[in-house]
Amino acid sequence: MNNNKKSMWSLKLSTAAIVLIPAAIGINYIGKLFASLLRLPLWLDSIGTVLAAMLAGPVIGAAAGIINNIIYGITVSPVSTVYAITSGAIGITVGIMAYKGWIENVKKATIVGLVTGLVAAIVSTPLNMIFWGGQTGNIWGDAFYTFLISNDVPQWLASFGDSIVVDVPDKVVTVLISYFIFKGLPKSLTNIYRQDSEIEEL
Amino acid sequence: MNTMTLYVEKDSPVHHLDPLVKLLYVVAAIALTYILPEPLFIAGVLFVTLLLLLVGKVFRNSLPILTLSLFLIFSLVIVQGFFHPDNVTELFSLGPLVFYEEGLYVALILVLRVLVMIGSFSVLILTTSPDEMVERLIKKGMSPRIGHVILSVLQLIPQMRATTSKITDAQRSRGMETEGSMLTRIKAFFPLMGPVVLNSLNETKERSIALEMRGFGSSMKKTFLNEEKQYPYNKLLGGIIIAIVILGIVWRVMA
Repeated sequence: MNNNKKSMWSLKLSTAAIVLIPAAIGINYIGKLFASLLRLPLWLDSIGTVLAAMLAGPVIGAAAGIINNIIYGITVSPVSTVYAITSGAIGITVGIMAYKGWIENVKKATIVGLVTGLVAAIVSTPLNMIFWGGQTGNIWGDAFYTFLISNDVPQWLASFGDSIVVDVPDKVVTVLISYFIFKGLPKSLTNIYRQDSEIEEL
Repeated sequence: MNTMTLYVEKDSPVHHLDPLVKLLYVVAAIALTYILPEPLFIAGVLFVTLLLLLVGKVFRNSLPILTLSLFLIFSLVIVQGFFHPDNVTELFSLGPLVFYEEGLYVALILVLRVLVMIGSFSVLILTTSPDEMVERLIKKGMSPRIGHVILSVLQLIPQMRATTSKITDAQRSRGMETEGSMLTRIKAFFPLMGPVVLNSLNETKERSIALEMRGFGSSMKKTFLNEEKQYPYNKLLGGIIIAIVILGIVWRVMA
C-alpha cells in the first residue's frame, strides 16, 4: 500500500523504543503489585508488555515480554523464566493486531484479548507438558486439569484446558485495561515509539 | 544505588567463578534431568547443586526462592499421585480417592526436576552480581543495548515501587476506595495504574534524549569502565561440565 512506510518488523529500533522496554517491564511489575494490593483474582502482570506492543509494534512487544520473564527469573522466581516464550508470543500477537488496526474500539480490543489468551495457552501447553507434566501450578487451572484427567481426557488436551482457564480471562482483562490506558495517552507520547511512522517533509 | 537483585555479596569460590560457567552449569543441570530421567540420578544432580549452594554460603538465601514454588510442588504430588493416566498400583486411599505408586513416581521425577531448576538458578543468581553477568555477556557479543535494558530495569523497579505508595496515598486522600466489593476494587485499579504508566512513559522520553546525547545509538565499538576480571579455572570447569553432559547422552544412548 505504502512503500515509504517502514515495516512493523523493522529491527532498526529507535532509542525511544528501546527505553520503552524497561518502562514496560516496570509497568508489568507494578500492575501485578496493584492487582495483589487490591486482591483482584487475576495476575494482570503483562499490561506493560501489551502496552509496549501497542505503542511500538511486535518486535518491541516480544523483546519486552522475553526480557520481562528473564528478569523476573533472576530477581524473584526462577520458574517464570520458562514462560519467556509465552510472554514473547503475547507481545508479538498484540503488536501485529494493533498494527493491523484491531485496537480501534472496545469490541475489537476484546477480540485481541481473546486471541492473545488463546495464543498464550497454545504456547504454554508444550512448556507445561515438558516441565511440570501438564500442570500450571495455578489452583483453578490445576483443579480443571484434574477434572478433565479424571474424565479420561488425553493429558495434552487437559493441559491445554488448564492453560486456557488460566490465560484467557487474564489476557482479555489485561488487553482491555491496556486499551483504555492507551486511548487515554496524549498523542505527543504515543507518536515517539512507532517504528513505522513517516517523517513528513515540507 | 538501590537495585533489585537477589545477589548476596560474600567471599566464596563460587562467587569468583565466571558467570558464564555458572550459566552453563544451569543449562547442563536442567538438561541432565531430561537426558537421564531416573530419580536417583536427578537426586545426584540436586546433591551437587546443593553442595554448590553450601560452598557459595548462600544456602539459606535460596530457601525463600523455593517457598515461592511450594504450591507448584504440592500440586504436582497431589494431582499426579491421584490422577496420572498410568496409575495402576494402589498405595493408599482417602475415601473415594486412591493414591497410586506410578503417579508418585512421576511426581517424584517432576519435583526433583523443579528442585534442580530452582537450585541451579539460585547458584547463579545468588552468587553473581547482575552487573558482572551483563558485562560478561556483552563482552561475549550480546548487544550493549540489551545489556542497558536489563540493568536499567533492575534500577527502575525499586524507583517505581517507591512511587506506587505515593500514588496510593494521594488517591486515597482524594477519596478513592481500595476496599470493598470486587467492582470497587476493579474501579480503583485505573486511578492507580494511570499515573504510573504516564509517569514512566514520560520518563522514557527524557531518558532517550539523555542517552542519545551520550552516543547510545552510535554503532562505534563500546569500551568498558571496569577492568576485566580474570577467571583462572574457566576452561577446565566449562570442559568438565560439557564432558559430563556428553557422558550422560552416551549413557542414555547405550543403555
